[in-house]
Amino acid sequence: MHQTSEHIVKSYDEELDRLTGEILRMGDLALNELEAAINAAMERDSETAQRIVDSDQDVDNLEHEVSHDVIRLLALRQPMASDLREVLAALRIASDIERIGDYSANVAKRAIALNRVERVRPVFSLPRLGKLAGDILSEVLLAYRDRDADRALLAWARDEELDGLYTGMFRELLTYMMEDPRTITACTHLLFMAKNIERIGDHATNIAENVYFIVHGNRMPQARRKGDRTASLVAPGSGIAG
Amino acid sequence: MTELAFSMNAPVVAHSPRPTAANATAKMSARRLNFHYDRFHAIKDVSLDIAENRVTALIGPSGCGKSTLLRTFNRIYSIYPKQVASGELLLDGENILHPKYSLNQLRSKVGMVFQKPVPFPMTIFENVAYAIRHYEKLSKAEMNLRVEQALNQAALWDEVKDKLKQSALGLSGGQQQRLCIARAVALKPDVLLLDEPTSALDPIATSRIEQLIAELAGEFTIAIVTHNMQQAARCSDFTAFMYLGELVEFGPTEKLFTQPGKKQTEDYITGRFG
Repeated sequence: MHQTSEHIVKSYDEELDRLTGEILRMGDLALNELEAAINAAMERDSETAQRIVDSDQDVDNLEHEVSHDVIRLLALRQPMASDLREVLAALRIASDIERIGDYSANVAKRAIALNRVERVRPVFSLPRLGKLAGDILSEVLLAYRDRDADRALLAWARDEELDGLYTGMFRELLTYMMEDPRTITACTHLLFMAKNIERIGDHATNIAENVYFIVHGNRMPQARRKGDRTASLVAPGSGIAG
Repeated sequence: MTELAFSMNAPVVAHSPRPTAANATAKMSARRLNFHYDRFHAIKDVSLDIAENRVTALIGPSGCGKSTLLRTFNRIYSIYPKQVASGELLLDGENILHPKYSLNQLRSKVGMVFQKPVPFPMTIFENVAYAIRHYEKLSKAEMNLRVEQALNQAALWDEVKDKLKQSALGLSGGQQQRLCIARAVALKPDVLLLDEPTSALDPIATSRIEQLIAELAGEFTIAIVTHNMQQAARCSDFTAFMYLGELVEFGPTEKLFTQPGKKQTEDYITGRFG
């Protein structure tokens, strides 16, 4: 774990702590958004889903606060070395969380659309996908809180599992649509929801990479492995690329 | 259209370290340098290279030995009998600490500018000409040219060319400091030592000196002691961090200020030094 002593100027520490607090609050909001969006889809609760869509504004507002604080810190404190990495990473992480919030809101929006059509079975694959993405995000946020690069690395590696799950769901949806074209509307919405969740995983790995950068000052050594293989998938017997 | 084509063809450089830090050769080298003020051991076994035609910054808290180290580079301490340097300090491979190394020759090769500008109580012209006369016999025309050249190098010529016969004491602090730099470069030294050259100046005058340092670096080897870390980061190619007489870390400025190798350095540059 990364340990640093305090600054001579106490208010500098307070400002850096405030930045960390804002990021963690953002992360918490985005995580809740994701979980609530999945629940709303499963319980066919359009009212809650709409509330989630509206609440995404809170995450966006926090991102603006982070940007403002970063500019202030850069201008007034002129951070160096690890402090500079902290500030730079905060800006990047905030942007990743903001995107995660957007994707969660998208999942909620699709849930509303999904509630208007008949339920299809692949919807039951959604919670597993959402839970894994949520777990990764939660781990990454804890790694950020504790400036724990090892924990960030472990969470980062789990994105491959998420990509695998997504590819599996993609196949499943494709098969459903082929078998019964009446499910195409629902399945298409689910396809987008799954893709949104898969993208949340990608942003979570970005955050993990930033935690690593804060602690070590350089990039994560591992090359990014991509588990999302849907780009090369073909619908069985159709020759249509996925 | 041409401009667009130009900008689109511009090379994309993902990581560009300051080119000036690359391929540097040592102009001065301290080898196990020690310095004593009587019984006080001010510099302890310091070894480092000052790169030719580059700017090397010495930073560290008060009393760390950075100014003392700079003072050994032209043996300015030698007027005090109880101040003693030992070890080796090589300038172009010759040990300047050797008793047979001519002080006169050393001072012509290594110029120094101090924290507080000290113009001589004479005209602006004479301030520069005085030092040159000590070393060279020049005709009036040659001297005029040389003084103009030095004032130009110190980015002061345009401001003083019409009042060369006026007293240097009438110049502003920033101008006086540039006059001192002109006086130092007039002797065509190889090395310029700057001991907190901007700590008595306002921000505008400071920026002028920093710009001047960047311009002079092409021609001179520069070592600067500064309390202002941002200044060290802005102006130098290499930075040495000293603490309690020891050299804690030395390396390319970009590395030292973004990824210092030692915790002590990190604590100092991030303002955590207790």
